[in-house]
Amino acid sequence: MDLEAIKKVTLILLEYLPNTLSLFAWTLVFSIPIGIFVTWLKKCHCKPVNWLTDFYILIMRGTPLMLQIIAFYYAIPMIVASSVSNGSTGGIIPFLQSIMNSSHYMIIMLVVAFSLNYAAYFAEIFRGGIESIPKGQYEAAEMLGMTKMQTFFRIILPQVTKRVIPATANEVIVLVKDTSLANVIAFAEITMKAKQQMNFYSSIMPLFIAGIFYFVMNTLVTMLFSYIEKKFDYYK
Amino acid sequence: MKISMMKKLLCAAVSGMMLMGVGCAGEGGSANGEDKSLKNVQEKGKIILGLDATFKPMGFTDENDEIVGFDIDVAEEVCARMGVELELYPVNWDTKEQDLNAGTIDLIWNGLSVSDERKQVMLMSEPYMDNEMVFVVNGSSDIAALSDLSDAKIGVQNGSTALEILNASEVVANGATPVELATNVEALQQLELNMVDAVFMDSVVANYEIVSTGKDYKLLDEGLSSEQYAIGFRLGDQALCDEVTKTLKEMAKDGKLAEISTEWFGSDVTTIGK
Repeated sequence: MDLEAIKKVTLILLEYLPNTLSLFAWTLVFSIPIGIFVTWLKKCHCKPVNWLTDFYILIMRGTPLMLQIIAFYYAIPMIVASSVSNGSTGGIIPFLQSIMNSSHYMIIMLVVAFSLNYAAYFAEIFRGGIESIPKGQYEAAEMLGMTKMQTFFRIILPQVTKRVIPATANEVIVLVKDTSLANVIAFAEITMKAKQQMNFYSSIMPLFIAGIFYFVMNTLVTMLFSYIEKKFDYYK
Repeated sequence: MKISMMKKLLCAAVSGMMLMGVGCAGEGGSANGEDKSLKNVQEKGKIILGLDATFKPMGFTDENDEIVGFDIDVAEEVCARMGVELELYPVNWDTKEQDLNAGTIDLIWNGLSVSDERKQVMLMSEPYMDNEMVFVVNGSSDIAALSDLSDAKIGVQNGSTALEILNASEVVANGATPVELATNVEALQQLELNMVDAVFMDSVVANYEIVSTGKDYKLLDEGLSSEQYAIGFRLGDQALCDEVTKTLKEMAKDGKLAEISTEWFGSDVTTIGK
């Protein structure tokens, strides 16, 4: 590949970078709150909920994300196709059909699959953070007459937040690279485009160009997190 | 007290919701009753063509990020004659049958080889061209005939009919090892680096690759069983299949198909309507 071709491939990848970025951003927006919610479910004193939460985390962490993407993407069309062929078109079928026919169906299902998967990992990171706080602190707070709410938000949370930052940064960096898995359902992100160009030029060079894109993105993420870590550099 | 009640209720509600989520999707079956496939396409005003967009020269993405190819040109003409628009929809080749059954695409048209396995999961049109399966080796290689391949590592695209043919062939029975690779490009790349000794692929692609890259590959004279390319439809979509086949035959008759073929292959390689 000559310089002109490399420039052309780079421009095409740049054009599809927003797709990769939006999958990344939406996944973060949803998976962190869901992760917090799952942590809360896991800490709640109700055995069935604990079991179901454990089961959810087991499935999400125990099966490949690639498989989950395929499962989520084809689930709705298959439900619709089988109910239509059985002659039933009532209930939630029209609703499912409208989701399916939306022009954003692919990115929606990707974000659902990615968010649920990453939420399971985030939930465990957050739980680890909460459980790393010694019991003595809760007892001391109780002695001081603090309510449970006050204890959690004033004593526990500020410490948990700073402790989970490095592990969270790990996940976020992995997420940047995992967006490339979306090409299994032919989502037009940079890895898929790089593969198509690789095919056109009969050269693996486009994949390396895509690699540079991920490297730059992760350099930025790493810088952002070291800035955040500095900001949370209290209780020393 | 009240709060703990609320908590329990919330707990119950959450567990209920989670249980419901563990439902199972049924198999997508073929539609019963009359065949509305052609009418549906005409009402929509477009045919959605599913392709992998990396199959040179049948349907692939070019340097300007546009999907072009022999199949695409033919499909454009077919759609124009049927009075509908053509929409190209890239899919993952490994899950193309799911996309077809789910209705995301109306047909698969991307150098799709006819095989008995495929005929069970999709409706295949009349074949429109022949394709031979050939072995590509480096120009400097000692391998000159099929008998030289007995200890060879042979690169082949996974999920393709090439793999099935190779596995069933005498070449593998005589001791050659198939190496499954994601794409033909990777297979040829490995051949260039001597990681494999030969690549087994479609002659259509092999010829195009050798000419377009100008690399030092050669084809063995002997190939394996030839196969045919056809268009894949959903099982039961007979009306749409018939209409497309009819249009293709018209194009063969008035010479349009030969014209497109000459543009891509230098001669008329099509077989339909002959």
